[in-house]
Amino acid sequence: MTPNITLSYKTKRIIGNILKYLISIGIVCLVLGPILVILFASFKTKGDMVTSSPLLLPALSKITFDNYERVLGNKMLVSAFKNSFFIVLISVFFNVLLGSVTAYCLERFDFKFKKIIFALFIMGMMIPTFVTEIARFKIIQSLGLYNTLGAPIIIYIASDLMQIYIYRQFVAKIPASLDESALVDGCSYFRLFAQIIFPLLAPATATLIIIKSVTIINDMYIPYLYMPNNKLKTLTTFLMDFAGAQQGSWQRLSAAIVIVLIPTVLIYIFFQKYILEGISAGAVKE
Amino acid sequence: MNSLTSKRNQFILASLLLPVILLIIFVVVPAFNLLGMSVTDWDGFSADMNFIGFLNYYDMIFKSPDLWLSLRNNGIYFFVHLLFIPIELMIAVMLNSKFKGSHFFKSMTFLPYIINGVAISYAFSYFFSPINGAFNEIFTVLGLEGAIQNWLSDAGLVNYVLSSVSLWRFSGYHIIIFIAALQSIPQDIMEASTVDGANAWQKFKAIQIPSIQLVIDFILFDNVRGALQAFDIPFVMTSGGPGYASSTFTLYTINTAFKFNNFGLASTMAVAIMFLIIAVHLIQNLILKSFSRKG
Repeated sequence: MTPNITLSYKTKRIIGNILKYLISIGIVCLVLGPILVILFASFKTKGDMVTSSPLLLPALSKITFDNYERVLGNKMLVSAFKNSFFIVLISVFFNVLLGSVTAYCLERFDFKFKKIIFALFIMGMMIPTFVTEIARFKIIQSLGLYNTLGAPIIIYIASDLMQIYIYRQFVAKIPASLDESALVDGCSYFRLFAQIIFPLLAPATATLIIIKSVTIINDMYIPYLYMPNNKLKTLTTFLMDFAGAQQGSWQRLSAAIVIVLIPTVLIYIFFQKYILEGISAGAVKE
Repeated sequence: MNSLTSKRNQFILASLLLPVILLIIFVVVPAFNLLGMSVTDWDGFSADMNFIGFLNYYDMIFKSPDLWLSLRNNGIYFFVHLLFIPIELMIAVMLNSKFKGSHFFKSMTFLPYIINGVAISYAFSYFFSPINGAFNEIFTVLGLEGAIQNWLSDAGLVNYVLSSVSLWRFSGYHIIIFIAALQSIPQDIMEASTVDGANAWQKFKAIQIPSIQLVIDFILFDNVRGALQAFDIPFVMTSGGPGYASSTFTLYTINTAFKFNNFGLASTMAVAIMFLIIAVHLIQNLILKSFSRKG
């Protein structure tokens, strides 16, 4: 109650706030530092890479766009953009379609074999990702999908199962009485799902489209393993090839890194609300 | 009513048929194939596949010293990340206490998780490069030339460098999940404790940590899974080198299959990693439980 205590409380708050900002700004520097170093390097000439500090932009007069021209002039980059876009489009479409009906059925109905089917999906989520390819490889090959865009597409559709988990939580929030009244009115199950349930899942769908797109664009291993063909590079495997060919020419590789970073960073800037919601929905409500 | 039931079953069948078939072909069958292949000498392409009993298991345990070295490296990732979890939790609590700009700082924290992992691995290769690398330049600017190292080719250092790249990429994921969990704590409990005069540390210990126990468990499991499967950062940055100094269990397994065409032995390792993930998680839970009982 004495003024002395109020003062010390106030000072405590001020010190607390200063600490918060110091730590937060520290985090921002840690996050942006390595990205800025790459950005700076991408504007440098070969000579500047040696003479200027990697921590600084080159002098304004010395800034060059040569590295970007070289990367953008690479024919494989265009097909890499196309391939990544195509794989994302098809995979995410089926992820949304199959994920939402599967989650709806598993959450709403009781039926024969439900427990077994449920256990299979849980198992699918638990199996370690990279090492499973050792056994999946043979299956993809025997289906004639090796070195086709079909390989990553079918793997993303069949084995990446987070959408079921997220959709189930949203289905659980929709009251079952809604289904019943629609059915009493003579609505078929297909129409009920397509016209009533699916639209109500829109927030989950938005989250999933964004997260899945980012994950698929960023995935390295599956395209690397199944599509060695030059014409079938994705953005990520294009970068790996480009890096292999540019031994030691960091300024050029830096420009390629920046270009490959741009799509996901743009998606993040515009849609981060959905991404953050989806990531937390996947973990918080057990 | 009966026709409604049959219509319902039609809908369920139509909905689940394709997803379940895909799941069986591409997930369930491969998982069981791993078990089956682990007792053969299959090379990945020939029609020849001989049953050799538990020879692969014997070879894996007694004749693969580099695999054990790789597993030790996974241990480094595991402990580096584990040590950081309390810090991540504190950062989450801090970012959750709304202050001006906290939203911006949250987005920044999560940025590394969303950006292209391969691109950023190359970026870090340059960052730690011995020639004109930014990390060594920082030491030069600070006048600490003595601290300059060959970060990625020194066998004693490389795993710590790679683990810190892994920290850079994945800490934001943990922090965001912690924040989401903290937000789900009913606001009135926090306010009541403020009225009762609890300070931030007391609230952290008595309310926030117990309320998000499930999420802490999830993060601890995710850490086991993530550390034992560490793969793409060493794959891109060092290919496991120098020698096997920065190899990991998954990287070694993948190379055994796709580089050395020993699919049988690689399957054995894949089976081992599944069991390791479960085993480490169970042991960790036991240790944590005995701790919390003492506390």
